[in-house]
Amino acid sequence: MQRDVGSFPLAPGLRAKLIGAGFQTAEELLEIGPCELSKEIGISKEEALETLQIVRRECHSNATRTTGEPETVKKCTALELLEQEQARGFIITFCSALDDILGGGVQLTKITEICGAPGVGKTQLCMQLAVDVQIPECFGGLAGEAVFIDTEGSFIVDRVADIATACVQHCQLIAETHQEEDFQKSLETFSLESILSHIYYFRCHDYTELLAQVYLLPDFLSEHSKVQLVIVDGIAFPFRHDLEDLSLRTRLLNGLAQQLISIANAHKLAVVLTNQMTTRIGQSQSMLVPALGESWGHAATIRLIFHWDNKQRLATLYKSPSQKESTVPFHITPNGFRDVHPPPSSQTPAEIEINPRKRPRLEGENQ
Amino acid sequence: MDWDQFDMNPKVIAAVKKANIKSIKEILNLSGADLQRLTKLSSMDVQCLLKTVSGTLRKSCVLTGAVYICTEDVFPNKRLQQLIDQQHKFRADVPLDVIQKIKFGNSIFIEHVADLDTFYNCITKRITLLLSRGMVRLVVIDSMAALFRGEFGAKDSVTKAKYLQTFGAKLHSLSSRYRTPILCINQVTDAVDETDVGQSNFGLLDKNVSPALGLTWSNQLLMRLMASRLTQSQQSPVGALQHIGSVLRTLRVVFAPHLPQSFCCYAVDLEGVKGVKVKSPL
Repeated sequence: MQRDVGSFPLAPGLRAKLIGAGFQTAEELLEIGPCELSKEIGISKEEALETLQIVRRECHSNATRTTGEPETVKKCTALELLEQEQARGFIITFCSALDDILGGGVQLTKITEICGAPGVGKTQLCMQLAVDVQIPECFGGLAGEAVFIDTEGSFIVDRVADIATACVQHCQLIAETHQEEDFQKSLETFSLESILSHIYYFRCHDYTELLAQVYLLPDFLSEHSKVQLVIVDGIAFPFRHDLEDLSLRTRLLNGLAQQLISIANAHKLAVVLTNQMTTRIGQSQSMLVPALGESWGHAATIRLIFHWDNKQRLATLYKSPSQKESTVPFHITPNGFRDVHPPPSSQTPAEIEINPRKRPRLEGENQ
Repeated sequence: MDWDQFDMNPKVIAAVKKANIKSIKEILNLSGADLQRLTKLSSMDVQCLLKTVSGTLRKSCVLTGAVYICTEDVFPNKRLQQLIDQQHKFRADVPLDVIQKIKFGNSIFIEHVADLDTFYNCITKRITLLLSRGMVRLVVIDSMAALFRGEFGAKDSVTKAKYLQTFGAKLHSLSSRYRTPILCINQVTDAVDETDVGQSNFGLLDKNVSPALGLTWSNQLLMRLMASRLTQSQQSPVGALQHIGSVLRTLRVVFAPHLPQSFCCYAVDLEGVKGVKVKSPL
């Protein structure tokens, strides 16, 4: 306890004697008994006992005050965590190759970062995910809602409407081949209007607004408990101008990352960020690296880098705690984010779609 | 102009009517001091009047005027006059009297800036006035590359990047605040290195040029279009059919959040820029 002796509720004369004898912090006081204290500073034994009692009581109540909040340290075993993770779903991207390398899709409770040059498809994936998180559970989705925080103004509603319409049609096709009742019932609530009305859109114009929005997010989320996805499109843009002091920028970004991690864990949702690329000049060549510096690289759990190879768009899984690094091609079609070639139909497509959570998890899950 | 429809103090409305002001444009074209003199209102009331009126104009999505920021040579005024004079032919679908009533020249504001600080001053202070009064709904910057040409060497890349990021952020905030599109013109540089072409051309490999100002500027943009001329060999089968005499050009979407990478053809005439339908695939 490094609390200063002068901050305790003691008589001024007593305080002066303590400081004069060399006692600076409460820790030093707690170490000695009342007899030694009375000898050291020349007070009666009763006074010394009283002083020590006051200090001990204050320190104790201080300690309980900080841990008195409902966030008690929870203990759980790794087995429980594994079961929780397997029961949790993923947010599919509609590009089965990308879903495969991600281990099923975008994971909940984790931060996924998408980096890439302008125009490669980052915002497209974000818009696709904002629609996909709302797919009803019987079609393999999470039936959740999405928060979209836009810093660059690249959220174009017409495009989201196109993607949403294509998604609804896709689910309608599945429902037609499988004449089950709950499919038809879910389709009634899964329409273009409902999809658009469950994407909560925020526009932030500078880093102050962005920080404020993220710090206020827990309040919003407690009112909208069905939100399963938070997207920040363009986390680099507001931080790359205006901020002269780079150490301030690092501090702010670290705080932001901490806040996002805590939101992701507390509300069991996925956080998706998009980042810009910048050129790093090396000794002999220059290469493209994600912006915002090295320390920001630790913020995201999973990092995807989108890039071009001739005319083909590629997605590389660059950082992941459970999947290996790999690259897959993808397409942006008028219907949204898709594979380059349709996935091989070893099973009927309808069977693959239904409840991927019930799919046996064998290979690909690196335990 | 029905002044009663505005949500203003009746005293202000009465003063405007008495001063015989006929249109919103008249109000916005006058300075604050002139308005005070004409309407005999206090400066607070005049500010209130300006705010209400320009707010109405902005919400109404009426296209009012444009600002053209010229960073290179003198603005080609003769060509602008030509376009204005030919407008009735160009827009044959609009009745002649409607076009003749519009004073195009009055709504085009031209700024000349030669260096970075003047440019920054222009976009932060000068055009903000026009935008806030709703007098312009389009900002054209011709061109961004000219501002940076010759001023920055290889080791000044950090300063250059800072300027580009500041400008980009400022233009974004203007565009968002006043709901105004901003059109920037950029130039191209030759792509020398093989590795450049792949990353900076965003998938348009058939061009051997890449946009100037690099990745930093590309990161500031919402969308990018590339204009180019068709070479003679590409033109002849198509051009001869459609447009005899004019050079055929293409406008291609390089990237946009809501558009596929499509293109269209156009030609530049005496009357202006006209789209051209291409029958055979290019």
